[in-house]
Amino acid sequence: METGSENPPNGRAAAGDGAKKVGKRVERVGHTAEQVWDRTRDSVSDFGEALDIKGRVDRNPYGTVAAAIGIGYVLGGGLFTPLTGRLVRLGLGIGMRLAVLPLLKREVAELIESIDEDDDGKSKSKANANKGR
Amino acid sequence: MEMTEKIEETAREIGARVRPQIDEAKRRLTGYNDSAIGYIKENPGKCLVGAVAIGFLIGKLASRRG
Repeated sequence: METGSENPPNGRAAAGDGAKKVGKRVERVGHTAEQVWDRTRDSVSDFGEALDIKGRVDRNPYGTVAAAIGIGYVLGGGLFTPLTGRLVRLGLGIGMRLAVLPLLKREVAELIESIDEDDDGKSKSKANANKGR
Repeated sequence: MEMTEKIEETAREIGARVRPQIDEAKRRLTGYNDSAIGYIKENPGKCLVGAVAIGFLIGKLASRRG
């Protein structure tokens, strides 16, 4: 007959079993937490690789930071606010100006060229008329 | 004619006086830009998390005002 730590007498047995059970459970919880942490870390790294964050930052650092600010802005609930309307209007204004200015420039240049050509044609015809006299 | 020459000369003088300062400012701005890009490339996580936080704060402020 064994008496020792495995089979303690009387009430000690129950207390020991409880402690063992709690210990096992704590161990299991720890193991599960470790697994969850590993999986989360793997998914985060997979997500990072899929988005190619490092490459994006290397290629276009300011753009990536601006995109991150935009994501934060939307998460902060700033999407449907007057500030968004103002920003969109400002962006559209700048974009329109940038798009329209080169067109205007080209049109003006063409107009000036055509006026010059007209002037040249007129002066040549005048010169010819004078020669004819 | 004399007036035009005077104006041209004054403009040239002003340009010559201001040009070194403009060059210096350009050089300094280029330096700041390079260091900012270097920092972002070295610490992408920190920068992106910070940027999201800044955007979040701006969004929160905007939504409170709106």
